[in-house]
Amino acid sequence: MTILQILEFPDPRLRTIAKTVDTVDESIRTLLDDMLVTMYDASGIGLAATQINIHQRIVVIDVSETGDQPQVFINPEIIILDGPDHEYEEGCLSVPGFHETVSRPEKIIVKALDRDGNPFELQPEGLLAVCIQHEVDHLNGKLFVDHISQLKRKRIRAKLEKQHKQLV
Amino acid sequence: MSNTLLDSRAAAARCLAKIVNGSSLSQQLPLLEQQVAEKDRSLYRQLCYGVLRFYPKLNGIAKLLIQKPLKGKDHDVLMLVLIGIYQLSEMRIPDHAAVSTTVNATKSLKKHWAKGFVNGVLRQWQRNEQDLLTKLTVAEAQSHPQWLHDELVKAWPAEASSIESVNNQHPPMCLRVNHQHSSTADYLQQLAAHGIDAGRCDFADQGIRLTNAVSVEQLPNFSAGWVSVQDEAPQLSAALMALAPGQRVLDACCAPGGKTCHMLELQPQLKQLIALDVDHQRLQKVEQNLERLQLKASLTHGDASEPLTWWDNQPFDRILLDAPCSATGVIRRNPDIKLHRQHSDIAQLAKLQRKILNALWLTLKPNGRLVYATCSVLPDENEIIVGDFCEQQKDAKHIVIDAPWGIARPYGRQLLPQNEGHDGFYYAVIEKKP
Repeated sequence: MTILQILEFPDPRLRTIAKTVDTVDESIRTLLDDMLVTMYDASGIGLAATQINIHQRIVVIDVSETGDQPQVFINPEIIILDGPDHEYEEGCLSVPGFHETVSRPEKIIVKALDRDGNPFELQPEGLLAVCIQHEVDHLNGKLFVDHISQLKRKRIRAKLEKQHKQLV
Repeated sequence: MSNTLLDSRAAAARCLAKIVNGSSLSQQLPLLEQQVAEKDRSLYRQLCYGVLRFYPKLNGIAKLLIQKPLKGKDHDVLMLVLIGIYQLSEMRIPDHAAVSTTVNATKSLKKHWAKGFVNGVLRQWQRNEQDLLTKLTVAEAQSHPQWLHDELVKAWPAEASSIESVNNQHPPMCLRVNHQHSSTADYLQQLAAHGIDAGRCDFADQGIRLTNAVSVEQLPNFSAGWVSVQDEAPQLSAALMALAPGQRVLDACCAPGGKTCHMLELQPQLKQLIALDVDHQRLQKVEQNLERLQLKASLTHGDASEPLTWWDNQPFDRILLDAPCSATGVIRRNPDIKLHRQHSDIAQLAKLQRKILNALWLTLKPNGRLVYATCSVLPDENEIIVGDFCEQQKDAKHIVIDAPWGIARPYGRQLLPQNEGHDGFYYAVIEKKP
């Protein structure tokens, strides 16, 4: 299992729209494992393939306290149900060090394939619902900073660009 | 997605800032809790509840200490100051620890500039505590908004200060035993066998009061529906309904369904119980409660003040109207009421209460009975509403409640919140003349 490098905002590759996975085979399962170790290594609770520069519709998540309940979503689709929006202070492994309040639908249904390619459906609650929407955004080339004001986004962008320059 | 854990004080400051800006405690508390490490969650909750309970006092102190008001976006820093003063004045955390942890929470909030500010304000409080306390208004010292303090003193001159002190306390956790499964005495034994210390409530037959709150999963047979969490005061409603087999009953404004379930537990042979609420989401909560207790009611979505939109023209033998109200009797359970309730709400609520009472009266059978209830302690929402109604409505007859609880009023009985006892509540019984 390999820990992969996570792209950081404003890297243009994060804007790529990921392609549907045709068949869930051994190579996908290896990728899932790599994504999970990468996510755990970065103390993340969710990671989309886009963030490691692989543009396939794959998401891994673990929102458990104990970090031992990994969930995988291949070709995830979100159906928004009626209900109020829900605010959460989101952070992102691709936007390190910044947290902003994002408002998203609270009630959703997720349809996806599991690691064996079998379809499943679930109605996530709380943090899991937030996290899935955050990760599916990545697959569509979107980041949580796109949900906040332009002013805040520009400020975060400038700060991260400055950090990236210092590292080089 | 990353989920950086927040320090409990920083999380509480953020949660409180949201509540000050209009959000409700029940909505915000669980949301930010997910960002607090498990071991810090009880402190986080304690800080959120505690600061809201003492908000008028803490905010009064902060106003004396802070010359230049903070901007809206820095309300989290202001809340951190309140959290600091709360720990110093109400909690058993050593002073130096309370100050340093609170000051450090500015980092977690990414408000590094506020470090010296929070430190300075808290030190100033420590130096001048006695002097500052004398500068508070009576309402602030009692931790109540001025308008509510005035209303309480006007309505209950002898009891106001005791009502206020109970409002600032932690409420007891109470249970309602489902007599379909077990008697109150038997369930008390089960609790004892599980090491949960508890005793009977003062007045409610199915009521049990726990010495210390526990999570519902720890309660024996909770998921099997043997018991529900409900304060003693609302448990008194079922007996007032004088239920009998074959009756058609309306529970108006029923969510979350505690009283609905209680009526069905006591009288399983009702012809029908219509559980009405205007809020879809809250009706789901009623459904969950019914399901857990294995009870059946006809859930109906509708506005109680407009029966024409949901009523099938079949009159009711019994109506329970637990009217929307200021909730001023349950402040200790919902301390954000101190921030959110405005004086002008009372007249608005009274108008709605009158409208619902008048509308539902048409759906009551001759000889039928309506129980009017609120969890308010303000006469404008209680005895005045019922008194005016009974005087104007020629076929309405006020029935005097003969009970050992509460205070007899010209119309109905008022329960005031009691230390280690029931919440504040109001009941009146009205019957329709044949």
